[in-house]
Amino acid sequence: MGLYKIMNDSKQISAELVGFQEELASIQTAIADFESGRKLNIAVMAEPFAGRTALLDAIEKMNPQKVTRLSFSSIVKNKITLPESPKRIILIDDCQFLYTRKTGGFDVLDDFLELVSPSNYLFITSWNLYSWKYLDEVMNIGRYFPIQVSLSKFTAAEIKESILSKYKPDEIKFVEDVEFEKEKIIEVAKYPLALKLMKKSIPVNIPFLKINFDSIKFILRREEKVAIEDIIFEKILQVSNGNPGVAQVVWQKSLEYPVIKPGRIKEFTFNIDLDYTEAFVLSTILSMKSIKKEELAEIAEYEHTEEILFRLTK
Amino acid sequence: MTETIDIGIVIDAISIIVIAYLLTWVITFVLTRFSERVGIYRVTVKMVIPLLKFSIYGVAFYYILRDVFALTTTESIAFSGLFGAAIGFGLKDLFADIIGGIVITLEKPYQIGDKITMGDYYGEVQDIGLRATKFVTPGDTLITAPNYMVFTQAVASANAGNPEMMVVIDLFIDSDSHADLAMKILREAVVTSKYVYVSRKRPVAILLKDFPFYRRIRSKAYVNDLRYEFEFESDVTERAWDEFARKGIGAPKVNVLSESAAGNRNARSS
Repeated sequence: MGLYKIMNDSKQISAELVGFQEELASIQTAIADFESGRKLNIAVMAEPFAGRTALLDAIEKMNPQKVTRLSFSSIVKNKITLPESPKRIILIDDCQFLYTRKTGGFDVLDDFLELVSPSNYLFITSWNLYSWKYLDEVMNIGRYFPIQVSLSKFTAAEIKESILSKYKPDEIKFVEDVEFEKEKIIEVAKYPLALKLMKKSIPVNIPFLKINFDSIKFILRREEKVAIEDIIFEKILQVSNGNPGVAQVVWQKSLEYPVIKPGRIKEFTFNIDLDYTEAFVLSTILSMKSIKKEELAEIAEYEHTEEILFRLTK
Repeated sequence: MTETIDIGIVIDAISIIVIAYLLTWVITFVLTRFSERVGIYRVTVKMVIPLLKFSIYGVAFYYILRDVFALTTTESIAFSGLFGAAIGFGLKDLFADIIGGIVITLEKPYQIGDKITMGDYYGEVQDIGLRATKFVTPGDTLITAPNYMVFTQAVASANAGNPEMMVVIDLFIDSDSHADLAMKILREAVVTSKYVYVSRKRPVAILLKDFPFYRRIRSKAYVNDLRYEFEFESDVTERAWDEFARKGIGAPKVNVLSESAAGNRNARSS
């Protein structure tokens, strides 16, 4: 009876989690294997805001009697110790905070990896994808976590489900807008280029033919008689590249509550030439998700990180 | 019937050469700019430049002979004879350069963007032209090497068409210093450098060698973009020595014997 209830609860939690059903199933299988004596540590990796924490939340809820959870919100400076608990499955979120990309910055991670292999605990860890790739190349950490779960990108239907789950039915009005329909399929756009002549930088706009794929899709799909809300979520998918966190931000920026129009969903545009240090700072931020300014300055070994951050955020 | 070469034909031929030159200039400019925007494919894009140059000049040359001068078979044979004589008398070096250029383009012993050693010079290849290859040394000196040199001497390309390149960095420490710790520090200084490129195919190797009065710690690692070769070396060296200083790892001691000590030593040994 008790087992039946737990199974029912698990199904309900699994159903509440949008997407990641395959990932959840493979982790649950690894937990079941651990209970029958086969220990294989797990690493869950994904881009920032791609839903790692939501997945770990679901695992924690599905296994409340077995799981202890640890989370880090900033770079860990001291050796970590495991909590004294009879629960033998340890969930650790944001493991990228266990290292700093500087000399002497791997000691905490080294200690952690020494802890991971011989212990009787099952470790389910989550990592920023970029940090994982770096650490796997540099330290081969993949060998400590034989089960590696890479979170799949959301489909338009999953983005729709996750966003609309926060609203009542029919609360949001999906409206076709004239502005979007009026966008030309092909237009002459200008590509900005800085010409360096006589040691001077001369800005030149080179005209080129820009094909508006969104408008083409819109026209084709209108002929298929697809609902406007599906077109909207298709566009959000395109702009967010299937990242649920980014999709949420795009939705918030485009929503004129309670109305949303396809024309309001704008693609991110940027025209910035990054030098080597700026590109390194940006990649460091992306690989940590969040980092303090002083830590960033220490990693980049650059005193003027404030200026770089200003350029990146403008 | 005798055909003459009038001023119109000459102007046409010159115009074709000028157009070919302008076209190669524009293509070189556009592809060079474009290559800077495609990250790791920079060298791949630049590889196309010499191939296009030779194709354009080849087509221009063919067009001048066929359509502008409109040579008959007899004229072609006569031209070949003249051409052969010209090569034999004075243009043989120029011709060897052009053939060398074609060989470089097709065989790719090096490409634009590569770091090469040719003769006594080391530098980054800037241009592979019809006659010569231009490369710039770390001291910003432009070296122009005739293309025929590819037949007469070995050319070493440090990166062989890849954007990443191996850089060897040597640090010398005192024999009494903790070598394991120094190797760990150097490894961390390398893998945390913003210029490093690490992958399974391009791993970092740290090697130790003992010498009578010091120890050499050598790192073999790849720089992400070969243009940052020296910045990489400098960055790793600086950060490794900072950490060495914090951990008490010192530079080799100067082993110079004073005259009296040397005298005593000689007396003892005799």
